[in-house]
Amino acid sequence: MLSFNSPINEEKKYNDLNIIEVEPIIKINLRSNKREFSTKIGKILSILPPNEANTSSGNEKFNLLWLSPDEWLIYSNDKEMSLDDQTNLEDKLFNEISKLNQGAVTNVSDHWVMINLNGNKVYDLLSKSCPYNFNDFKNKKGSVAQTIVNHINVILHHKQENNLNLFVRRSFSEDLWLWINDSARFI
Amino acid sequence: MSNNLRINKNNFIDQTVRISFKFNGKKLFGYKGDTLASALLANNIHLVGRSFKYHRPRGIMTCGSEEPNAIVQIGNDPSLTDPNVRATEIELFEGLEAFSQNCWPSVNFDVGGINNFLSPLLPAGFYYKTFMWPASFWEKYEFFIRHSAGLGKSPTKPDQDLYDHQYAHFDVLVIGGGISGILSAKLSAEKGLNTMLVDDKNYLGGSTIYQDDNNFKINNENSNQWIKKQIEDLKKLPNLTIKNRTSVAAFHGYNYLLARENLNDHLSSYERKGNIRQRLWKIRAKKVVIATGAIERPLIFSNNDRPGIILSSSIKKYIDYYGVKTGENISLFTNNDSAYETAISLNKSGVKVKVIIDIRENSNSILSKQVERSGIKILKGYTVIDTDGYKKIKSFDVMKLSKDGGSVVGNKITYKCDCLGISGGWTPMVHLFTQSGGKLKFRNNDNVFIPDENKTPSKQISVGSSNGDFELDDVINNTVKNIKIFLGLDKNDLENLNIKCSKEKQKRNIWLLPSNKPISKTKPFLDFQNDSTAKDVKLALREGFKSIEHVKRYTTTGMGTDQGKLSNMHALGIIADTTGTNMGDLGTTTFRPPYTPLTFGAIVGRNVGKFFDHTRKTAIHDWHVKNKAQFENVGQWKRPWYFPKNGETMHQAVQRESKAARESAGILDASTLGKIDIQGEDASEFLNRVYTNAWSKLAIGKCRYGLMLNEDGMVYDDGVTTRLAENHYIMTTTTGGAANVLSKLEDYLQTEWPELNVYLTTVTDQYSTMSICGPNSKKIIKKIIPSLDLSDESFPHMSFKNSKINNVNCRIMRISFTGEHSYEINVQSNYAKDVWERCIEAGKEFNITPYGTETMHLLRAEKGFIITGQDTDGTLTPSDLQMDWIIGKMKYDFIGKRSLYRSDTIREDRKQLVGLLTDDPKEVLEEGAQLVESLDKPIEMLGHVTSSYFSPNLNKSIALAVVRSGKKLKGKKLIVPMENKNINVTITDTVFYDKENKRLNA
Repeated sequence: MLSFNSPINEEKKYNDLNIIEVEPIIKINLRSNKREFSTKIGKILSILPPNEANTSSGNEKFNLLWLSPDEWLIYSNDKEMSLDDQTNLEDKLFNEISKLNQGAVTNVSDHWVMINLNGNKVYDLLSKSCPYNFNDFKNKKGSVAQTIVNHINVILHHKQENNLNLFVRRSFSEDLWLWINDSARFI
Repeated sequence: MSNNLRINKNNFIDQTVRISFKFNGKKLFGYKGDTLASALLANNIHLVGRSFKYHRPRGIMTCGSEEPNAIVQIGNDPSLTDPNVRATEIELFEGLEAFSQNCWPSVNFDVGGINNFLSPLLPAGFYYKTFMWPASFWEKYEFFIRHSAGLGKSPTKPDQDLYDHQYAHFDVLVIGGGISGILSAKLSAEKGLNTMLVDDKNYLGGSTIYQDDNNFKINNENSNQWIKKQIEDLKKLPNLTIKNRTSVAAFHGYNYLLARENLNDHLSSYERKGNIRQRLWKIRAKKVVIATGAIERPLIFSNNDRPGIILSSSIKKYIDYYGVKTGENISLFTNNDSAYETAISLNKSGVKVKVIIDIRENSNSILSKQVERSGIKILKGYTVIDTDGYKKIKSFDVMKLSKDGGSVVGNKITYKCDCLGISGGWTPMVHLFTQSGGKLKFRNNDNVFIPDENKTPSKQISVGSSNGDFELDDVINNTVKNIKIFLGLDKNDLENLNIKCSKEKQKRNIWLLPSNKPISKTKPFLDFQNDSTAKDVKLALREGFKSIEHVKRYTTTGMGTDQGKLSNMHALGIIADTTGTNMGDLGTTTFRPPYTPLTFGAIVGRNVGKFFDHTRKTAIHDWHVKNKAQFENVGQWKRPWYFPKNGETMHQAVQRESKAARESAGILDASTLGKIDIQGEDASEFLNRVYTNAWSKLAIGKCRYGLMLNEDGMVYDDGVTTRLAENHYIMTTTTGGAANVLSKLEDYLQTEWPELNVYLTTVTDQYSTMSICGPNSKKIIKKIIPSLDLSDESFPHMSFKNSKINNVNCRIMRISFTGEHSYEINVQSNYAKDVWERCIEAGKEFNITPYGTETMHLLRAEKGFIITGQDTDGTLTPSDLQMDWIIGKMKYDFIGKRSLYRSDTIREDRKQLVGLLTDDPKEVLEEGAQLVESLDKPIEMLGHVTSSYFSPNLNKSIALAVVRSGKKLKGKKLIVPMENKNINVTITDTVFYDKENKRLNA
């Protein structure tokens, strides 16, 4: 078995704020503008892709984030999901959607690094370098935002009150992790 | 401590906490709550600095951000000192050390003071007129001018303080914590709107908070008591954020504002350590209330700049708020009622005002009558014509004004004093309003520019004295009325308050007060910091400057660190009077951000040091670090540049790496290349349109190199694309071009080719790529994936196979950027480090050599492969690069095709890519060096070197260059003229090594 090396592999605790990298998590990018697509996703994942901008749907196993009118991101809640299971899921989606020209299915598990931020100071922290208006976001469970934190593109997913998952490209993740920890000192 | 000017009873200063500080090296004491200015005045120190041009002694003139004179250097360490800090704004802290600026050897004896005596020779425009001849002397002049330029000293070391930024989004932002701001914030927050209130002071309430006067009552309470209760109520509102010590610096379009919060400038160095000094707030508000108040104007008369001449409202604040007398023998000079309020405050504190000079003939307000009853002498219809005293005012001369106010009559009277309060009326602070795009209108009856309600950007309002309301009842009633409409409020308890206040009944304004001397013999200062006088403005007008913007620049009026807060209105007034123009028609100079100075630290925030720019790292980065790679910044990526061994230089390392790659095996981390996953039934057609060559017939499992052009036909990007399945490709792009290529392609799909059923997903970070090249590369791959059939028949050059390393999927591509037999392994990034280490381990017996970008560049140059962005610069077509073979001439269309047939792009004398060999094979050309045919002048430049290396495999120098008509010049001798020598070169083919491509299958 090859050894898995996530870029951060760390947890930090601050006053009213915890930050932790959550990996390995399967992440799959979906793109489609076909009508049948939603039905197929619903059958495979038991969740329908949200149509409303900046929202998500989900169940115990998976989350499905709206990214654009024809793009969604699936990610699993299960860190223990085996590599074979991950591959099987990807293959199933690919065969049912991409191969049948119903859209695109792309594994992005290692493209994004997921960082969980939770605690009362989450939004204070992000507002240090994120121009996004969190006033509505923080009160709406399942909200999704695509924005920048310290000029780095991120996807934010509201999981619970003061608890969100942040997705950042792997190559930027260490840089952003350092920034987040630096900012956390001053909140 | 010389504490004789401190009054003991005071609500705002904590006289139980004594603070020591130093001014010009002398140890002094103040109290908690003091500013440096109030503490200096309490110690009877008025002289704090010297003016910029004439080095005239200058004292504290105001109590706020408009201060032009009392700007000081903070800190005794020259490497970390902070220049141009207003003594009126900095709060006193234990250990504060401040120094006077623009004086040598001391503020008391300043050699530069000689300029004052030379002032007749230094009028406006002196520099422009004087230093233009003789032209050859300019460098000598420049030395002295530069030496005397600027105020204060810059620190010589990097700033040690920490700064950060904070974004904030509010329904309503209220700027200013005076009475109108407080009422606005209260009404807004009580309605449930998410509200922010900012004020630059450390307290709320503006001047009302110390307005303890029976003449000013709200609901039968003195206004200061009433406002205190409002502030207490305000602090309890849950959806209100109050930020004190926060100054709005800029008001941009669409209600985007920048505000600087001072977090620890008021703390001792011990308390500051490790904490943020200043925070820059980046605020977006749905609605903005500007309640920035007004500042008092000075009066313009001869020698109005002496230390001890202070704005009348500031004298009032020093006595009422700080408990500091600005003198023992104070007189006041005014054109309005404000000075009478000051007189009442001074009287209450036991300081007898000697005389009030009022240029108005009458004044019948409640205030003036009360002052008259108190026995203070009032000279009505008089003006101050001159003052005396060098380092501090000693006396002033008074004469009766003529009826029209244009001259003085009668006899001169001299009054002794140690402080003269002056009040020339009030100027609404409209800076932020105009920054946001609002237009001003001029109100003739009291000579003020106020926001034009018909030209106010939407979603903002100006209230209070910043909107031209100067009296308490007007301020409150108009604020409540206008905010109610602005925020759509219902009835509220702030309507119909019972307000009692004095009303000013008479007004008289004279911008330049007359003297008994001709103006040429007087010094009526307008801009106290830059020493520009009314004479200078009149001179500028005589010399033909008409526009206020031109007069400003010629005379430097308003160009100091105070940005003309005190001087601009008077300059306008004098221009209007002199030219017979209405002030409203003249307009104002442009108000630009920042309203008050911002530190560079606050602007930059935490983006310093390691956070100055972003760093992208590959999944194998740690291995590179461990193996002592030197890194090159490619975009934001850190790419290994070379791997020096045993103290090798870069040249030595690259030579070794290059030889190893050709003789046995090399390995490169190519993860930074952009990767785009392309799926959809029209994917092949999409690629046909994107690239110049044909893609429809590319078989599944095959790879193809493609050139992407801009619409103008110039090479934009290149890379290899692999057909993974019928409708599934993976495209690679250059490292630096990845993001732009993806955006461009997505843009084309959405706007130009919506009929194509194609989806793009970036996977640059998903897959890491390691390229193994060299004659032994096949053996290494075989060791890692024994089950993979690597025969040339099964796995030829430009093909790919899916495989697994252990149970992890990977893609193996047989593509080469070195001309060697090569494989690229693409694997999920989180497994990449392990795979890389397995490659190194497997390659040990073949001396596998990790190489960086420099060796990669050398190896590809030997093969004549281009690097987009190095050998191209956005002006070269494929034909210019001698790559006509890649243009699918039978194709219906592709991006840039039409442009390839323009008359300019088919010119034969375009610059074209060629190879170069130096006559001396050891001579390595400099990249960027020019190529010429002859050295006869004028020398015609034919082109330049784009890539140049010493090839260890060819044992000679090689280079690529773009040369005009280069394709036709093969074999031609050219010259590369360098600083110390000329290098002879010959134009060659672009391929230097293995022209037959035998090594690809070796």
